[in-house]
Amino acid sequence: MDKVKITIDGQEVEVAKGTNLIEAARAVGINIPHFCYHEGLSPDGNCRMCLVEVEKIPKPVIGCRTGATDGMVVRTNTGAVAKMRRSVMEFLLVNHPLDCPTCDQAGECKLQDYYMQYDRVPVRFKETKVHKNKMVDLGRGVMLDEERCVCCTRCVRFCREIAKKEELYVQQRGNHAMVSAFPGKPLTNHYAGCIADVCPVGAMTSKDFRYKKRVWFLSKTDSICPGCSRGCNITIEHEDKTVYRLKPRKNLDVNKYWMCDFGRYDYVFLNVNRRLKPARQESHSPVDCSYEDASGFLRASLSGLSFSEIAFIASAKESNENITAFADCAKDVFHADDVYYSKNDSLEPEADDILITADKNPNMAHVKKLGLKPVSAISAAVKVVLVQRDLCTADIKHLKDRGITIAALYATSHTIADHLSKTIFPIPTYAEQTGSFTNGDLRVQAFFKAFPPRGEARPVQEYLKDLHSLTVKLKRAG
Amino acid sequence: MSFQFTPDNKSRLDDLVKKYPNKQAALLPALWMAQRQNGYLSLEVQEHIANELGISPVHVHGVVTFYTMFKQKPVGRFHLQLCRTLSCALCGCEHIVAHLKEKYKLKEGEITPDGRFSLELVECLASCGTGPMMQVNEAYFEGLTIEKVDLLMQKLMKE
Repeated sequence: MDKVKITIDGQEVEVAKGTNLIEAARAVGINIPHFCYHEGLSPDGNCRMCLVEVEKIPKPVIGCRTGATDGMVVRTNTGAVAKMRRSVMEFLLVNHPLDCPTCDQAGECKLQDYYMQYDRVPVRFKETKVHKNKMVDLGRGVMLDEERCVCCTRCVRFCREIAKKEELYVQQRGNHAMVSAFPGKPLTNHYAGCIADVCPVGAMTSKDFRYKKRVWFLSKTDSICPGCSRGCNITIEHEDKTVYRLKPRKNLDVNKYWMCDFGRYDYVFLNVNRRLKPARQESHSPVDCSYEDASGFLRASLSGLSFSEIAFIASAKESNENITAFADCAKDVFHADDVYYSKNDSLEPEADDILITADKNPNMAHVKKLGLKPVSAISAAVKVVLVQRDLCTADIKHLKDRGITIAALYATSHTIADHLSKTIFPIPTYAEQTGSFTNGDLRVQAFFKAFPPRGEARPVQEYLKDLHSLTVKLKRAG
Repeated sequence: MSFQFTPDNKSRLDDLVKKYPNKQAALLPALWMAQRQNGYLSLEVQEHIANELGISPVHVHGVVTFYTMFKQKPVGRFHLQLCRTLSCALCGCEHIVAHLKEKYKLKEGEITPDGRFSLELVECLASCGTGPMMQVNEAYFEGLTIEKVDLLMQKLMKE
């Protein structure tokens, strides 16, 4: 790629020829405001917010569709540019309802931000604003407020270019123009959640997130989506040990700027139905108890068994570190020849050629790397198993058919395996620990602890340490 | 009954499509053809055209709603399309509208009970030098005054 040198506000920068001026300016830390331009979508050039002056071009040009050429001198800080930005803002705000106090976008709204940065003059428009529909359910969790739309067409381009289904388009004209779906045809694409993300204003909001939290209360932690083997980079947005939403995080090699709806809305298990205390089985139902109690119960159920009768089942949903720790404990402490794994064997949602993969586990690659075996291959000698995270239905059936008891289940949530486990110990979710997943392309990606574990959840490693002392006794006995 | 182009129109459309680099380019003539055949462009017609041209229905809908010349519901025998854009507005088109509404009991976007008239306020019809103006069906009436409108309406009522 040819490199060219351009000057932006006196700063020289070398960029690939043809790089648009918004990106070129970003490289030297200069922000050119924009609504319709989005890195991941084709440039459109309708909002005019990114107008800048270029030497030797008589009229101002839009940054998003002007490619850098050698020797170009760009000015973004002149009085004329400031005036243009104010004018564009004034036009955009003519029919904009001032409903920021009840708007979910407040706090992450480009109209708000740019008003404070580039406008800051009182409104001159005294006439009646055009009123439109405030609540249009577009389907797939997207709500449209027609009045707030600035017709940047990011959502239209997103549907067409990324989700590969043209389901939105600008309707009407002039100040009646707004984005809409075909009447009676709700959205069907599996990436619709991204529409609310790309919307620079409060027109498209997430039905799931609406009115739940003001965005400025949310803390953000980098993470990795555990929904499938793609390993989309995400941000967990949370407050007070509660996750409110997941958002995609830019990674051009994995998910670009996007994530699917299945991953996006699969955060509820982090908040509800959580296993918070250890439990032990009492007359066919698990009863919460103290750790000492459960641990004693587990020791009792293991005592008298030989190593070959105890097997470990790791989980393809867990992190590299946790799977390794589990497998190491099995091999080094319990002298197991084989370690087994269970995985999410769901076929839904169907794989596509965008992001969703067929393997619904975030970490099958690591399971394969360690050479773990499926539960169906469990050795004939095994009488009891220790299970990490959970078991899929097929594996539960296999254990039942074989008459194998689950001695311990290290679980994040209440699952169907609860009733079959002698003891259950709470472990943290991926939001409550730091670790890494290996995705389907063998890319190892780190996720970070957003908040401390809920309840009495402890990393599986700590439980295994306690088991170590038990094996000393087992060894002496055996 | 689902909308279909008449065999005649269908073959005209097929010929038309060949003239353009892609099918989408034939959208406007296809919409005109369908409107002449069907009287107006219902959602069903819009979907049919989208399928014919291999574009999304919502795209067709966007085009149909952009142009006031495309009707989404039936209109009267005489469809009065009064321009409301800048030049005509400066020339006082609102007085003409008020007069039509008051004297002839026309309502914007509605057909009179006898089915004779319908009124619509439309965007610029490119007759800015002669505002206020209106288009009745496909004929222009320019430099309108209240008197001219009365004369025209009386003529149309006798038609």
